[in-house]
Amino acid sequence: MDYPIKLDFNRRPSSIMHIDLNSCFASIEQQANPLLRYKPLAVAAYDTPNGCILAASIEAKRLGIKVGLRVKEGRLLCPDLIVRSPDSDKYRSVHLALRKILSDYTPKIVPKSIDEFVLDFSGTPAFQKGLFFIGKEIKSRIKNEIGEYLTVSIGLGPNRFLAKTASNLHKPDGLDEINEKNFRKIYQSLSLMDLCGINRQNTTRLNMVGIYTVPDFFKADIPLLRSAFHSILGYYWFLRLRGWEVDDLDFDTKSFGHSYSLPKTLTSPEELAPILSKLVEKVGFRMRHSDFQAKGVHLALLYQDHQYFHEGKSLDQPIFDSRDIFRVAMRLLRHSPYKLPVRNIAISCFGLSSRCTLQLGLFCDSIKKENLVTAIDDINDRWGNFVITPATMANTEKYVHDRIGFGQIRSLI
Amino acid sequence: MIQKISAPVSVQLVYDHRLRTVMPRQIFWDGKAIRVAKVGMHHTVREGRTLFHIFSVTSSELFFRLKLDTDNLFWTLEEIADGLPN
Repeated sequence: MDYPIKLDFNRRPSSIMHIDLNSCFASIEQQANPLLRYKPLAVAAYDTPNGCILAASIEAKRLGIKVGLRVKEGRLLCPDLIVRSPDSDKYRSVHLALRKILSDYTPKIVPKSIDEFVLDFSGTPAFQKGLFFIGKEIKSRIKNEIGEYLTVSIGLGPNRFLAKTASNLHKPDGLDEINEKNFRKIYQSLSLMDLCGINRQNTTRLNMVGIYTVPDFFKADIPLLRSAFHSILGYYWFLRLRGWEVDDLDFDTKSFGHSYSLPKTLTSPEELAPILSKLVEKVGFRMRHSDFQAKGVHLALLYQDHQYFHEGKSLDQPIFDSRDIFRVAMRLLRHSPYKLPVRNIAISCFGLSSRCTLQLGLFCDSIKKENLVTAIDDINDRWGNFVITPATMANTEKYVHDRIGFGQIRSLI
Repeated sequence: MIQKISAPVSVQLVYDHRLRTVMPRQIFWDGKAIRVAKVGMHHTVREGRTLFHIFSVTSSELFFRLKLDTDNLFWTLEEIADGLPN
């Protein structure tokens, strides 16, 4: 493939808007409970000293409390830190309310995560109003219709990458645009690590070919970028920095998975089995709810001493029943060569296909099994999750709580 | 400090058809009538097919999380908090 050697910055007016709900979980908690407003607050996976901080309020961030710190580390920085456990339903509710507001402006909305949306205004009547005007209107509607304490940072740009970069320029409550007129000035004010997708490793790669600043990165030609990344990624960065779109890809669902950080380490397969069973039940329910079956199961274990075991098993026949997934997962679990305390356990199903193509088996009645599984799912759907559960997941009420994963939200409606 | 409670509670709810708003006005708890000063958030949750309305409200000094079961219209006080660190 021939790549254009010279390419100017995209001159089209900005049509992409990136919206980021500031300090999402923490702000929503402060919205719900006005007594917590203007106070340092953290939402942590567990409110115990070793719980991981998932979100910090704007006041807590000013004191240096960041996502990923332990609660005890946060309390060292701020002894008066208020710690709350996550309330996933509340965050989903705000996500859906925000999505409803945004759908009044364009049908092309991509939720990138629970707190981030990308809107494409090209070809929409709202585009005529001007994106700055729409941005201000959305901010005002969020305050009036969802909650007065919630703020969003909005970025505008000719492509998704620049819109996201613009949304990070002023936090909280920013509204910025990166376009052909101001991109040079903004690039001068950014470091390589400020660019979404450039981490420490990529910075090293760029440094090795003599790129130390964002203007250096912008000026670099394709051969230089290719020598830095050793792949097509160099060309993608060449386009991204010039405002051309390379990120509007929609990926199919490839797998369904769940992971869980154990509150206390467990070693034997018998101890881990109930938790694994609950994870499998969740995975199986979600997979069937999306009308998929899987032809493979993957298990990953992170041990206390940071050793890591993972193994996948491909199957001859697709499976959809949680009991079948659990059987394969237990076989993988027993296969682990390390008999060490486990910190984190993850299970996923891959090799997905539509459930409408059910293969009848010689040795088991697949239709009978499907009817049974559908009946159990219907009962759980009607009366609430885990009303009917396998005996293998007995006494797991306090484990594997409802959580919102990082990354794209697919099944939220 | 948060206190998880999960106990039945009496709630006075006001629907204003002109403003199209529904909000708890008073909570009767622990022998006291507590006036709701502010509704921080209202959201819904489904447990199975049963829809619950959750109201996060504050009085002058306390936070209350109230849950309305739409199957039987009964209220539950789920949580009281004072906005101070645990």
